Amino acid sequence: MKAWKILLVDDDAEDRAIIEDAMASVNTEGIIYFAENGEQALAILDTFLDAENTPCLVVLDLNMPKMNGTETLRNMKKNERFREIPVIIYSTSINSLEKEKCMQLGAHDYITKPVSINESRETAKRFYEFCK
Amino acid sequence: MTMHELARVTLENEMDLILAHKRSMKLAELAGLSLSAQTTFATAVSEVSRNTIDSGKGGCLILNVESEQRDKYIVACVKDEQTTTGKSPEGLEYAKRLVNKYRISTQGAETSIELYYYIAPNFRIDIAKLDEWRSHFRNEPPVSPYEELKRKNAQLQDLSEKIQKSEAQYRTLTNALPIFIFSLDNNGALLYANEWLLRFTGETLDYLNKSRWQTVVYQDDYETFSNLLYNTVTRGTAARQTQVRIKNKNNGAYIWHQVSLTPFKDADNHVQYWIGYIVDIHTQKVYEATLKDNIQLKQTQEQLKEQQSIQEKYIEELNRSNLELQQFAFIASHDLQEPVRKLLFYSDYLLNRYTNAIDTKGIEYLTSMQHAAQRMRNLIQDLLIFSQINKEAITFKSVDLNEIVSEAQQDFEMAIEEKKATITVQSLPVINGDRRMMKQLFENILSNALKYSKSDVPPVIDITYRKTDDQIEFAFKDNGIGFDEKYLPRMFILFQRLHNREAYAGTGLGLAICRKIVEMHQGKIWAEAKEGVGAVFYVSLPIQVLKNQN
Repeated sequence: MKAWKILLVDDDAEDRAIIEDAMASVNTEGIIYFAENGEQALAILDTFLDAENTPCLVVLDLNMPKMNGTETLRNMKKNERFREIPVIIYSTSINSLEKEKCMQLGAHDYITKPVSINESRETAKRFYEFCK
Repeated sequence: MTMHELARVTLENEMDLILAHKRSMKLAELAGLSLSAQTTFATAVSEVSRNTIDSGKGGCLILNVESEQRDKYIVACVKDEQTTTGKSPEGLEYAKRLVNKYRISTQGAETSIELYYYIAPNFRIDIAKLDEWRSHFRNEPPVSPYEELKRKNAQLQDLSEKIQKSEAQYRTLTNALPIFIFSLDNNGALLYANEWLLRFTGETLDYLNKSRWQTVVYQDDYETFSNLLYNTVTRGTAARQTQVRIKNKNNGAYIWHQVSLTPFKDADNHVQYWIGYIVDIHTQKVYEATLKDNIQLKQTQEQLKEQQSIQEKYIEELNRSNLELQQFAFIASHDLQEPVRKLLFYSDYLLNRYTNAIDTKGIEYLTSMQHAAQRMRNLIQDLLIFSQINKEAITFKSVDLNEIVSEAQQDFEMAIEEKKATITVQSLPVINGDRRMMKQLFENILSNALKYSKSDVPPVIDITYRKTDDQIEFAFKDNGIGFDEKYLPRMFILFQRLHNREAYAGTGLGLAICRKIVEMHQGKIWAEAKEGVGAVFYVSLPIQVLKNQN
């Protein structure tokens, strides 16, 4: 089983914990980078970008201080080095307008944050797809 | 030959003969003739005059003076309307011998005998003298009471002729004028009415008096009119006027008239009778009324304008508050999602991980809480959707409705399988619309059809459409539980639910969202249903959605 190599960008510590739990239940091996906003996310990507450490997926929350999800996505797509990294938008809202916008900006998927343990596991499994 | 008439005497009886003699004597005297010459001339005139009185008709003696450059005569001309020629009476023969010259002429039936008597050539005759003689004859004191009477009679006759002539003129004038002219006695009864009045009303003077004008004056105006005619006239002495409607006999129309009465007073200032005239003022009345209407119209128009500006302000206010509400709904629903999700997640966490630590009652409560949180989440999500259906958010593009239906079917895959539902779809058109909203619309209607199905009958949903002249009409037919159509007016309004939430889950926003989407597309949504049989939801969009596709 391949190890995780994921960058999770979310300002909500509880949500980060929920996903961390769920991911551990799928596979305990791996690296999960955490960022609290877009600025941090871009900085982490910049620092750890090499064959060894580049994440296989960036999971982006939308509502964040400093630099929100869509802005981060836009910046990643502008940068040649980050452009190819898959991005999943991970949001509370099932806002179809927002989803449309994100898909247009180049997101791979738009996933609503889980409301149960089962759902959180399903979400983690979906993330892991990108690490295989 | 210039003949100057000086006096006339009619020849009808013996008294006239005396008068003829006397006037002839006088004329001869005035002409300066001797007494014997006077007598001779007067005798000749008398002789001829007697003949006329005896056997003639309408005879007349005219005394003249003929004055030429050489010869001057006094001339007596006796006229007789009846010809007496062929028979030369004795008297005439005698008279011929008494005068210097004579002439007998006939003209038609009239015979005229002229007797000439010389005036001395040195006797001066001029216009002034002739006038003096004429006035002498006119003012000659009467020879007898008979003559006096006769002269008065002639004067009266003359006056009467003049009056008759003048009256005829006035009558013609009053009859020719297009106004009513009449006179009233002091009891208000008509003495005279001109033709126009009688012709206009179509009544006779007697009838008007008898009916007291009641049939020709408009009912509402009659009291005023009758007061004027029968009360003012009997009491007052000053001119009066009023306005009434009088019926035109020809077309039965009541025409506005102004009635004016003026008292005709004698020298002692007693009212003898009343003169009245009535003038058509209908045009003026109509004009006045129109003017009044116009003013009212203008006032109404101004009021309307004012009202409109107030309404515009309200609309502006409404639009503003609507936008605020929409923004509020969006922000509120968006931000409410996060805490509700946490509520759901941690209640699930408790129910899964702490089952042993919580007793049965606690688990029951926790489950209730979770359900409530789930409903709240649905509600918030629907509110979010609702708040996002607005003019700002709409984007018109080509939308293949077949794709929309198949996507919706995929979304409901689980429910369709679970309920063993059959969905048949006619090949649908591509329209110009907002894709996101169209999907929401089809999803909501399909979701309802699946949700409100009978528990023991698998749902059969049929989606069809047809085109009319200006509309494209979609029908979503199901075999569900249906509903009583009396609920229709409420169904498309926010938060209206027909069923309790225990039986059928729902937020009460689904159809309100549908209506808003359809309205954004200038369309209509309605439904038909029968309880226990099923429902058909209709969506019609303007035919233009089939054209101008991007």
